[in-house]
Amino acid sequence: MQNLAVPAVALERDNAPDAHAIELRDLTVRFGTGTGSVLAVDRVSFSLAPGEFVSLVGPSGCGKTTILNLLTGLLTDRPEGDVRVLGKSPSAGNPDIAYMLARDSLLPWRTALGNAVYGMEIRGVPRSKCEEQAMMLLQRVGLGDFADKYPKALSHGMRQRCALARTFALQSPVFLMDEPFGALDAQTKLQLEDVLMDLWSANKRTVVFVTHDLAEAVALSDRVIVMSARPGRIVADVRIELPRPRNVRALQKDTTFHKLYARLWSLLEQGMSSHDH
Amino acid sequence: MTTRSRLTIAAHVVFIVAFIGLWELASSHDLLDRTFFGRPSGIALFLWKGFVTDGKLWLELGYTLFGAAVSFLAGSIAAVSVGLLFMVVPRFHRAAEPYLTLLNAMPRIALAPLFLLWFGLGVGSKIAVGCSLTFFIVLSATVAGIRGVNSDHTILSRALGASQRQVFFKVTLPSAVPVIFSGLRLGLIFALLGVVGAELIAAEHGLGQTLAYLQSTFSMDGVMGLLFLLALLGLGVTALMNRLERSLLAWQ
Repeated sequence: MQNLAVPAVALERDNAPDAHAIELRDLTVRFGTGTGSVLAVDRVSFSLAPGEFVSLVGPSGCGKTTILNLLTGLLTDRPEGDVRVLGKSPSAGNPDIAYMLARDSLLPWRTALGNAVYGMEIRGVPRSKCEEQAMMLLQRVGLGDFADKYPKALSHGMRQRCALARTFALQSPVFLMDEPFGALDAQTKLQLEDVLMDLWSANKRTVVFVTHDLAEAVALSDRVIVMSARPGRIVADVRIELPRPRNVRALQKDTTFHKLYARLWSLLEQGMSSHDH
Repeated sequence: MTTRSRLTIAAHVVFIVAFIGLWELASSHDLLDRTFFGRPSGIALFLWKGFVTDGKLWLELGYTLFGAAVSFLAGSIAAVSVGLLFMVVPRFHRAAEPYLTLLNAMPRIALAPLFLLWFGLGVGSKIAVGCSLTFFIVLSATVAGIRGVNSDHTILSRALGASQRQVFFKVTLPSAVPVIFSGLRLGLIFALLGVVGAELIAAEHGLGQTLAYLQSTFSMDGVMGLLFLLALLGLGVTALMNRLERSLLAWQ
């Protein structure tokens, strides 16, 4: 039960003035040492307000995933600069954070329900509570009838829905998502983005969403941070003034959406060629 | 059952009956030397006598099965334990690997005379041979299974806050089970092989010993009958393991 108390604590902290859910100040990450070292992230600073949905976009190798791994505490190289998640230094297994990857990484020997409870189980949430919560979320993502199916019987889209249920079942106030829909086809992706929006609006978490897909970033986010090619620097930090709640599929026909998309695309292009100057 | 599979079964029955009938016919007309090939009616008579009339084969079968079961259990428990130890202490794994490769490369059946000297004519030496075969097969399967764990699963688990212990029991072990299981299936066959092989060389009891005796006395009906029995035994063991695998690993 202890873990379930986390969001409440986090909310109290969020109410404090100037509280950032996530804060990066002059973050510099270098892989390796000496002459062979590679500068992956160069003096990146940004912060997220509690409940804010922010996407990181940029060309491959711009350090998006590095920043995410740093926030999860999985990065072993010591970075320069200051990183805070809910006021604390990142550490692996921080219950404030839920993490989602591009590949669903469902455990094939567990049913959809077994996978949906997995995160909670690891965090020591009591079994009955886990299952109740997981079942509710499976229904929300449209997998209610598939709770006892093994991943091999589920399609890509269904597996990623199950991963969404596993992530949202964790009561973590901060979500880190690394291209969670990157491996899906275009239609399934739009559906899953709507499922994500639905879950997120019902229970707002602070989300850092890494993606290659600019349209996805614009459709989902409050802000889109555009990064340059390696070494990763921030090229632009654009607020997305689209009203909420959003319907991602409806947005595909929205002119404001397309204008924002075009603007961000030109910024991204600048970023891709920035290292030539 | 579909018509197609029924037809297949019928075809098999026709083939087997024709095969046995031809064999019987050829040996009764002296086209096939009975001293070398036996004859189906003689084989049937031998098995009937061994298992029904005087029942002597039950004892021999019991010795062999007991030896194989003990070899399999001891060999695979040791192998899985060592495999897990390797995972926990990788340095030990690296150090032990060349010796294990060397031992594994040795033809184990050639060690049987040595084991007979060390462990006697009884079931002990048979278990030693069976164990030495099973151990290496299951060990390499265990190592492969543990290596084959999907790194996405471990990364995700660690990011969610799993302890080393949780990662091991909730990710590494279950993901290694199918690979270990296929090692176990092979290990069981090889336990049987090792025991029968050692019995052939020298033993007081067992199907292998009986086989060697019958061979030296030129009772080909008996030899053929036992070979048939051993083949059936191997088949039964494989079927058993397949069944167990299907019920235990339904998620595959």
